[in-house]
Amino acid sequence: MADPRELMQRYQAGDASAFRELYALVAPRMLGYLNKLAKSRAVADDLLQQTFLKIHRARGAYVVGADPLPWFYSIAHRTFLDEARKTSRAVVRAGGDDLPEVPAGITGESADRADEPRADPELAKAALEALADLPTQQREAVVLTKLEGKSVAEAAAIAGTSVGAMKVRAHRGYEALRRLLGKKPKTATGEAA
Amino acid sequence: MSATDRPDVPAPAVDRALDALAAEAPPNLPELSAVLEAELASIAPVSPRRPIRQLGMFVAASLVYAGLLLAFLSLRADLSGLPMAWILGAGIAWFTGFSLATYFALVPARGTMRPRWRAALAITAVTSIAFIALGLDMHPSVPGVSLDYGMPRLLHGHGCLWLGLATALVPVVLGAIFLRGAVPVFSRWIAATLGAAGGCLGGLLLHMHCRIADGPHIGIIHGGVVVVAAALAALLVPRATDRPFK
Repeated sequence: MADPRELMQRYQAGDASAFRELYALVAPRMLGYLNKLAKSRAVADDLLQQTFLKIHRARGAYVVGADPLPWFYSIAHRTFLDEARKTSRAVVRAGGDDLPEVPAGITGESADRADEPRADPELAKAALEALADLPTQQREAVVLTKLEGKSVAEAAAIAGTSVGAMKVRAHRGYEALRRLLGKKPKTATGEAA
Repeated sequence: MSATDRPDVPAPAVDRALDALAAEAPPNLPELSAVLEAELASIAPVSPRRPIRQLGMFVAASLVYAGLLLAFLSLRADLSGLPMAWILGAGIAWFTGFSLATYFALVPARGTMRPRWRAALAITAVTSIAFIALGLDMHPSVPGVSLDYGMPRLLHGHGCLWLGLATALVPVVLGAIFLRGAVPVFSRWIAATLGAAGGCLGGLLLHMHCRIADGPHIGIIHGGVVVVAAALAALLVPRATDRPFK
C-alpha cells in the first residue's frame, strides 16, 4: 500500500495522479466518517468533495514527513461543522437509503477487511440510527474512537479539543448509545427478543 | 413497561452493534467534482511548508522591523542611568517570550502537522500575566530623567499601547501568511499565540524606547500590549489562516 507521506510529496510536486492515489487510499474511510456524522449519504458525498477541494487548495501547508491523515480528518471535521452551522443544523435524518452501500470495487474496501465476515446489517442499522440521535460532539467522539479506531489523543486533535474533553464526550456518547439501543427492539442489539 | 423504563442494554451488546457498524464496507466513492477536476488539470507544484525555516525568517524579519522602528524612534533617554542587570534581564525576558510564543505557534511536533496548542496556550497565558505582574513590581527609574505618570495619568501613556501594537503587526501578519491552510482546528488559540509573540516584541521595543518608568505604565500599558495583541490576533487572524478551509 502506498505511503500517504510519499503521495503528498508527489502531489505537492504537481503530480495529479498522486492526488488520485491519495483519494482512493483515504477517501473511503473519510466518507464513512462523514456519512456517520452527517447522517445523510448525499450530504456526506458533498462534504467529501468540499474536504478534498480544501485539501487541494491548502496543499502547500503540508509539512514534509508528517502524517497527513490527521490533518485531512481535521479539515473534514471543520467542513462538517461549517456546513452544519450554515444549514442551521437542518441536516437530513438518515433513512434506509443512507446506510453504507455494498462496495463496488475500484476504490474498494481496505485490504485488512477483505477477509472479515460480513457485518450484521440489522445490527449495523440499529447502531447507525442510535448514533444519529446523539448530539454532534458525542456522535463525533464515538465515531472517531469506536468506529474509526483513533486513539483519544488523535480524536481530540482532529476535533480541536482537549484529551479530557474528548474522553468525556466519548464516554457520554457511549452511555447515551446504551440508553438509545435499550429503547430499540431487543433483536436490534443481538439480544433475545 | 414504557420505553424509557427499559434498562440500558449491556455494554457488550453496544460493542457488538458498533462492531457491526465498523465492519460495514466503506461506501462507494463519488466522482471528483468538476471544480476539483478542473483544478487538478492545471495543477502546479507548490513548496511544502518548512516550519524551522519559517521560524528563522519570522524571527529575523520581526527583529529587523523592530530594529528599524527603534532606530527611527531612538533609545530611551534614561538608559545609561538604569541598572544594567534590569535592562538586560527584562530585555531577555521579552525576547524569550517572543521566541517561545513564535516557536509554539509555528513549529508542529515532529512527524505531525498538529499545532502545539497546549504549549501555545500556556505561553500566551504566562506572557500575558507575567509581564503585567513584573512591570507593576519592578520598575527602576532615573530621577529627573525618567517620567512618572502614575495611576492617575495612566491613560496619558496610551501612545505606548499603539506603538506596541504597531510593532506586533508585522510578526502577526507574517505568521498568518505562514500558517495559511495549516491549522483547520485550534486556529484561534494559535492566532492568540502569534499575537502574544508580536506583543512581546512590542514590549521589547517599548523597554528600549519608553522612559515612562512608573509601575502602572510598565505593567498595564507595556504588559497590556501582549494581552491586547493576543486578543486582537485571536479575533482577526483566523480569517486569513482559515481562508483555504472556507
